[in-house]
Amino acid sequence: MRARPARLAIRIGAMSAKEVLHIVRDPRTLVLAFVMPVVMLLLFGYGVSFDLDHLPLAVADADRTPASRALVDAFTRAGEFDLVERIAPEDAEDLFRRGRAFAALVVRPGYGRDLARGGRAEAALLVDGADSASASQVLQKADAIARAESLRRAAAAGALAAPPVEVRTWTRYNPEGRSAVFMVPGLTVYLMALGAVLLTALTVAGEWERGSMEQLFASPVGRIDIILGKLLPYLGLGLVQLLLVVAVGATAFDVPVRGSLPLLFAVGLAFLAGMLGQGLLISVVTKNQLVATQAGTLSSLLPSLLLSGMLFPIENMPRALQVLSRIIPARYFVHALRGILLKGSGAAELWPDLLALAIFAVGILAVATARFQRRIA
Amino acid sequence: MSSPATPSALTTYAAVVRKEFRQTLRDRRIMFMLIAAPLIQTILFGFAVDFDVDRVPTALADLDRSAASREQARRLLADGTLRHELDVRSAGEADQVLDDGRAAAAIVIPPGFSGDLAAGRSARVQALIDGTDPVRAGAAASAIARFFASAAEDAVRDRLAALGRAPPPLVEVAPRVLHNPRLKTAVYIVPGILAMLLVVVTTIVTAMGLSREREMGTLEQVLVTPIRPFVLLSGKMTPFVLVGFLDVVLALAAMTWIFDVPVRGPLPALALGAVLYLCSTLGVGLLVSTISSTQQQSFLGGFLFIIPAALLSGIMTPIQAMPAWLRAVTWANPLRFFAEIARGVLLRGAGFADLWVQLTVLFVYGALILGLATARFRTQIG
Repeated sequence: MRARPARLAIRIGAMSAKEVLHIVRDPRTLVLAFVMPVVMLLLFGYGVSFDLDHLPLAVADADRTPASRALVDAFTRAGEFDLVERIAPEDAEDLFRRGRAFAALVVRPGYGRDLARGGRAEAALLVDGADSASASQVLQKADAIARAESLRRAAAAGALAAPPVEVRTWTRYNPEGRSAVFMVPGLTVYLMALGAVLLTALTVAGEWERGSMEQLFASPVGRIDIILGKLLPYLGLGLVQLLLVVAVGATAFDVPVRGSLPLLFAVGLAFLAGMLGQGLLISVVTKNQLVATQAGTLSSLLPSLLLSGMLFPIENMPRALQVLSRIIPARYFVHALRGILLKGSGAAELWPDLLALAIFAVGILAVATARFQRRIA
Repeated sequence: MSSPATPSALTTYAAVVRKEFRQTLRDRRIMFMLIAAPLIQTILFGFAVDFDVDRVPTALADLDRSAASREQARRLLADGTLRHELDVRSAGEADQVLDDGRAAAAIVIPPGFSGDLAAGRSARVQALIDGTDPVRAGAAASAIARFFASAAEDAVRDRLAALGRAPPPLVEVAPRVLHNPRLKTAVYIVPGILAMLLVVVTTIVTAMGLSREREMGTLEQVLVTPIRPFVLLSGKMTPFVLVGFLDVVLALAAMTWIFDVPVRGPLPALALGAVLYLCSTLGVGLLVSTISSTQQQSFLGGFLFIIPAALLSGIMTPIQAMPAWLRAVTWANPLRFFAEIARGVLLRGAGFADLWVQLTVLFVYGALILGLATARFRTQIG
């Protein structure tokens, strides 16, 4: 009697050891699990961001007065815009088509004269709106530059003493606005989903496809042994991945860890269990590696990327997608991770997330195990 | 001489294409993911991805409780970027609602705001912003700054008028937005997404398909026949180029009907770009399969290419925002160039004359990668 749990452990251990051998023999799994997150973090930290400066600007200055030159200078001085070409106003669109400029500043004759009279002087800014996100930044920057130029002229004309309304803005949690801080939680979720769902789906589907699953059934290992033995190494892989991403984020990009690590671990464990269950279910249903990868991409990677709030705020989505996002585990994990890392939230705030993840994990593992059994009979 | 023994390259090519088509069509599930899945994803992406920052939930602490403070707050919260979520009674409580996520921004109007404004002193306002998402935080901060700057201008004007002096000179930059005047995200993002989905489908499917044949030993059976490796590979790729092309057509229809993506340029330019792009991505798939012995390895190898390629494509984040060294790396990325072609043709009305650089790069990339893959394939079987 005493030997039963021990024997169970031995059988699961043997299955796991076999799986670990598979993983170690092909370094690509390890590269995908451990090197890729670091590479992506570095890219997000040092290269990939939404913040634009040195935007290519074309200028059509038909006024040619000191005032118009001052306006052009105001645009290019701070490094927000770079003057790439002087053009005639009608050439702007051609430049946009060839992707040579994002915006064109057009100053009509009479700009300097209007300004000298003390009135309103208008310049036009043509913006290539194709890339809406970049175009909004262009509009914001241009607006700020025009205001600053007005203010400078007003001050020069002696019309201004103290500013009548002063705003002091404090940005909390991520004051420098670094993309890395924002991306670490989202990226962690994405990579863990990738590893857990797709690798599990592939390895189990591979056993079916090659016929080696039947050999396993012929051996004295049971259904639970196979499932646990297969899943445990990937659970370990996922947890190490979580620690790695958080550690690299903390050391290289000063991503804070304000909350408790055990809570982080618990939430990560619940999320991983759900993702592993999903991978298992996919492999049992498809029994084909090619189909399993696509099903995994469609059912886990894409929702993790799109509907989790990792990149795009959920409140901006259409109603139907907001509702759909409620059954996506990644949504709860992203929320919990951001809370723990950036805001120092604790179990009091995050228990609904943990509960949702746990329900998903238990449910999907139960379904996957049940399906697995039926196939043996 | 012995015509039945050495069939022409064209005959064998046609035979391989026929065989591949049958094999692909037979499995309904593979057809589904080759054709329906990209379409579903394009539509889902188009609805989910929205870079427009609006409706930022905002808490308001109006500690002044005057007519002036109420009016300023009302106008600020009506401008669309911020959404009035709740009222709080102190700056500390504003901190608290940012902590628990009930609001992402808070405006604190301290007592004495209207008094300062009336007396000509600097009236202070505090804004607290949740910086977790830098894009959203930036947009909220800039909306708040813009609003109070214009409030300040109004106040200056009023004071000068009260003193009987002329208003200060005013510089105004009137923007006119071309190509996408309402700045809708979907219009720009959906053509890019198409490039991303095509690479996932074509690269992974080719890489895994070839590895599967290798695993099952059917590749060796084909190789003992007189089919030459180059003919075999082109025959294998042809159905996927066609399927990929069908995906482009379907996605294009979905884009224009559902998301109002315009078609301003010549479609032949887009079609040529799509074929060159598909040759590149299929070539990557072939190359991956020549360095993999199992499907699992092929899949992982494919993903190791796709993730950085998608990240450095300019599809989600602008290439212009990358440092120079990383911009240089993107020249080796076929995704970047197809996304530029798709967006150029559809949104900006660009034609062959505008896009010849992108088309040439794709052609060179495709030729290089296919040549390399064929060479590796040949040495492997030789």
